[in-house]
Amino acid sequence: MRIFLDLLWYFKRKKWRYLTAVLTLITVALLNLIPPRMVGLVIDALQHRELTDGNLRMWLGWILFVALLTYFLRYVWRWLLFGAAIELSTTLREQLFDHFTRMSPQFYQTKRVGDLMAHATNDIQAVEQTAMEGILTLVDSLVTGTVVMITMVSVISLKLTLVALLPLPILAYATSRYGKILHRRFDKAQAAFSDLNDRVQENISGMRVVKAFGQEQVEIANFTTLSNDVVAKNFAVAQIDALFDPTIQLIVGISYFLSLVVGGYDVAHGRLSIGSLTTFTMYLGQLIWPMLAFGWLFNIVERGHASYERIQTLLAMKEDVADRRGALAVELTGDLVVGISQFTYPQASTPSLQGVFFELQRGSTLGVVGKTGSGKTTLLRLFMREFDVVHGDISMGGYSIYAVQKVSLRKAIAYVPQDHFLFSATIAENIAFAKPQATQAEISEAARIAAIHDDIMRFPDGYNTMVGERGVTLSGGQKQRLSIARALLLDAEVLILDDSLSAVDARTEAHILTELKQKRQGRTTIISAHRLSAVEHADLIIVLEEGRVVGVGNHEQLMQQGGFYASMYRSQQLEEYVEQGGIRA
Amino acid sequence: MMDVDDVAVAPLSGSLLLRMLSYTKPHVKTLTFAFFVLVLATGSNVLGPILIKIFIDHYLVVHNFPIWPLVLLATTYLSLQLMAAFFNFTQLLIFQKVALFIIQQLRVDVFGKVQMLGLSFFDRTPSGLLVSRITNDTESIKDMYVSVLSTFVQNIVLLLGIYVSMFILDVRLALFCLALAPIIVAIMAVYRHFSSRIFHLARHRLSLLNAKLSESLQGMYIVQAMRQEHRLRAEFARINYAYRSARLRNIKFNSLLLRPLIDGLYLCTLILVLGFFGLQSMVERIDLGVLYAFVSYLEQFFEPVNQMMLRLNSFQQAMVSSHRVFHLLDEDDLAPRQAGEGDPQITRGEVRFEDVSFSYDGKTDVLKNISFVAKPGQTVALVGHTGSGKSSIANLLLRFYSVERGRITIDGIDLRTFANAHLRKKVGLVLQDAFIFVGDIRSNIRLGTEKITDQEVVAAAQFVQADAFIQKLAHGYSEPLGERGATLSAGQRQLLAFARTMAHNPQILVLDEATASVDTETEEAIQETLMRMRQGRTTIAIAHRLSTIQDADLILVLHHGEVIERGTHQELLAKEGLYHKMFLLQQGGRVVLKDCLEA
Repeated sequence: MRIFLDLLWYFKRKKWRYLTAVLTLITVALLNLIPPRMVGLVIDALQHRELTDGNLRMWLGWILFVALLTYFLRYVWRWLLFGAAIELSTTLREQLFDHFTRMSPQFYQTKRVGDLMAHATNDIQAVEQTAMEGILTLVDSLVTGTVVMITMVSVISLKLTLVALLPLPILAYATSRYGKILHRRFDKAQAAFSDLNDRVQENISGMRVVKAFGQEQVEIANFTTLSNDVVAKNFAVAQIDALFDPTIQLIVGISYFLSLVVGGYDVAHGRLSIGSLTTFTMYLGQLIWPMLAFGWLFNIVERGHASYERIQTLLAMKEDVADRRGALAVELTGDLVVGISQFTYPQASTPSLQGVFFELQRGSTLGVVGKTGSGKTTLLRLFMREFDVVHGDISMGGYSIYAVQKVSLRKAIAYVPQDHFLFSATIAENIAFAKPQATQAEISEAARIAAIHDDIMRFPDGYNTMVGERGVTLSGGQKQRLSIARALLLDAEVLILDDSLSAVDARTEAHILTELKQKRQGRTTIISAHRLSAVEHADLIIVLEEGRVVGVGNHEQLMQQGGFYASMYRSQQLEEYVEQGGIRA
Repeated sequence: MMDVDDVAVAPLSGSLLLRMLSYTKPHVKTLTFAFFVLVLATGSNVLGPILIKIFIDHYLVVHNFPIWPLVLLATTYLSLQLMAAFFNFTQLLIFQKVALFIIQQLRVDVFGKVQMLGLSFFDRTPSGLLVSRITNDTESIKDMYVSVLSTFVQNIVLLLGIYVSMFILDVRLALFCLALAPIIVAIMAVYRHFSSRIFHLARHRLSLLNAKLSESLQGMYIVQAMRQEHRLRAEFARINYAYRSARLRNIKFNSLLLRPLIDGLYLCTLILVLGFFGLQSMVERIDLGVLYAFVSYLEQFFEPVNQMMLRLNSFQQAMVSSHRVFHLLDEDDLAPRQAGEGDPQITRGEVRFEDVSFSYDGKTDVLKNISFVAKPGQTVALVGHTGSGKSSIANLLLRFYSVERGRITIDGIDLRTFANAHLRKKVGLVLQDAFIFVGDIRSNIRLGTEKITDQEVVAAAQFVQADAFIQKLAHGYSEPLGERGATLSAGQRQLLAFARTMAHNPQILVLDEATASVDTETEEAIQETLMRMRQGRTTIAIAHRLSTIQDADLILVLHHGEVIERGTHQELLAKEGLYHKMFLLQQGGRVVLKDCLEA
């Protein structure tokens, strides 16, 4: 029941709404006492042959009155209570999303998107259910249960009530117990279903391999096995599910039986009228739902509580990279000074960068080369403040990037990440992602520099072609070039290309580099790459190996220094030499 | 998740329902049995109030309490309750079991169908959509069988049982109550009509919401790097509120037409029944027991109605889903299959393209009049820019698409006439992106071909120089591989894919060279391995790096689907044409690059 305390802030915020809903529920419960009583009165009058037209009309009038009023009131409390629960889930979802937009890449490195999705969908749904069914069952079982029971005791008979209620706790216990088992088995069935889903996903993604190796029949056999497992798990659920109704029927049937036996005995002895007995059994019918609900309630709140805790844990996580106190809002321009003594990723034991010191004049181009895992991307991410350097500093135009607001820093930098991500929107919207107000001319210009304009014009709807599942499928190179165009449109002080030319061919790479050199005069460009051709023209190249700088200089200087850069270049030269020899021969 | 287009479609054609029901055919016997049990259960159930009526009218009202008849009555009542519980449990279980088997069949059918479809189908169908057809859509059809159909059958039987009992008790009053049926059906029809729209609106908005959420989470680093958090929050809020308003409408509508209305209807019927008895009593004597029984039947009568109405939405959803699933089952874009009889064999491995033209969409040709011959054991390399048609040639040779213009032959026999299994055995593909399945190393090399022994798996791995890194893994060949082989490096994945091809020992190799950058050491291993793989096999190689195919027997330079140059490496260089230019560009020298751009 802690969940109701957890959600107290919300109930307080909507206190009038909840109060009205509860009052309405109580009114409905009270009104519901009337029809059974009227039925009893009619029966007694019939038995004693005392029924008059006026009496009948009055009693039936009362029932009609209850029918109309409860129809209205039932509508009202549903609207109030269920509506409030929907408002709650909307609020929670918004809070969670806001929170997601504030979390750093570090957060996304440790969490899987699928899990975050589950929190935002399933957990919120469970909390909503608690606020909806949970509150309803709590109030309804307490209110209706009490009201009906009091009436049964006071109007009919205490003894009869006790006897009739005897089997009902068993019912509450049984349904609660079934509910628990059902939930467990249901989870297993869900897991089996999600395995099946993964399997299908894999099959479809690997369809070319499946076909090329003629594995269709094997795949069908595997799928059948998994699918059989789903059936078995679901049948386990069905076994419990099928217990609910019969159990309820049986226990309720016994309860009726007991009240008829004891009640009949009382009627025989003149202590009870047949009409009252009928009224009593009708009240008994009204008690079943609250009893059932009470068993249910525990399952609902248990689930709601667990889900709410998970959501709160997420919301309680702090931004890893926040503005420091007194952070300045400035326009960052100027020379870059990098002085990183050491940088270690959180939760990592060995440093990813060590002793990286260099200066880069405004307007020049920096090349960063090295093998996979040498620290290229790490260095670039530090510029973006995706992570903070503890030992050392990075400054731009004299300002430490930690002394300025994150917004200022990000305004100064346009970033093209290694793994290009595009949104399901049109191509134009994707390019103009960071500058939604950009004109078509600006967009086309950026596309032209990134050598993607011609490709776009070949798509069915040009710039209005949708990207993603519902639109065109882009090649890796096309996605990379779109990402470059997107960053170019920002026209930022610093442009960072993180191995963003790996999937474009040599000719396109040359085109893009030439264009960049021309368009970005006076502003700083940072390029990391595997292929040396992408950085050869850079003013400054730093060579990284296992997080350390093993070479600094321009292409010529690095060649003279020898070392890794030169050997990498020489291996290319060697290849070239062999091939050039081919021409001469 | 993104089935947005289909949202408006809510087909309710009889043929659709019939086709869905046709899946019950193999289960007719079991279903008949379950139905019989259901009737027994319902019978035991509705007899209860009649027994109580007897108790009231014959004993209670007249104050006559003989012991044995009363004990008999009580025992019968309790036994009926027990029987009803037992029969109900049984029939519920059988109905569920049959439903699950039916869905199992449907799922395997759909999955099997999808395996038989051509790649052209996969090209134009987003994979997420397809996955959702096979799993989610069949799941909502399952709900239809498990909860909708069985609920309807059970509740309708119960309603009929109640009516029958009412007729036994009092024909005139039962006739009165029969008037309820059209009212209930009308309410249901109205509800179904409007709710389907509101319900689907909410569903549709939920799918938009989820899509937005998932995309935002995946692209959050971009959003943050480009400072678009505010815009994104606003967009999400808009979708979130749209979803909220759809759900609020749903709540309002449900409150108006569901339980509150049905409960109101119950009370009105109660008035009717009481009024009938009241008026009746003024002219003749009436049995109180009958009145009691009617009152308790009425209490039971409306819950089934509530249940059925609650299920209408799932029914609607299932109809939409089944429409989609059947649409997929009816898809006729099948993978090309063997044409004609006989079992022609590939023996030498001579590949010949004769004037082949091809188009994926029937509009633009991606291949134009391609002709070439790869003699047994030769290597033919295909070079050209992205989109020049290299991959299409490989796709055709693998019979992923059918050739309509021109002809492809292997050993002089038309490609179309080979049996699928034979073709797959003899023509091996090494893909650009090595696709790794969830499983272990061994299962990834062997795939489903059980004939390949463990020794052969190891031999294949050794042949492609993958054995060394596999031995180093903690569990060697049994090392489990996760989704897409994420634990392996790109180079290792490639070697593994090579081993897979070698284990299947094809006569003809189709190589789609990887563009992904791997470290130099692995690259060398890969090149050396490729060389050995090609020995004694006819090879069609798609090359991105010209350095890897210099020893090819024939190089075809493709441009916009046409072969514009052909010859050996030396011949092509001597020509100083496009190949020469591409070759120089790949050397990456600045001087050369400048020359080429000017040329």
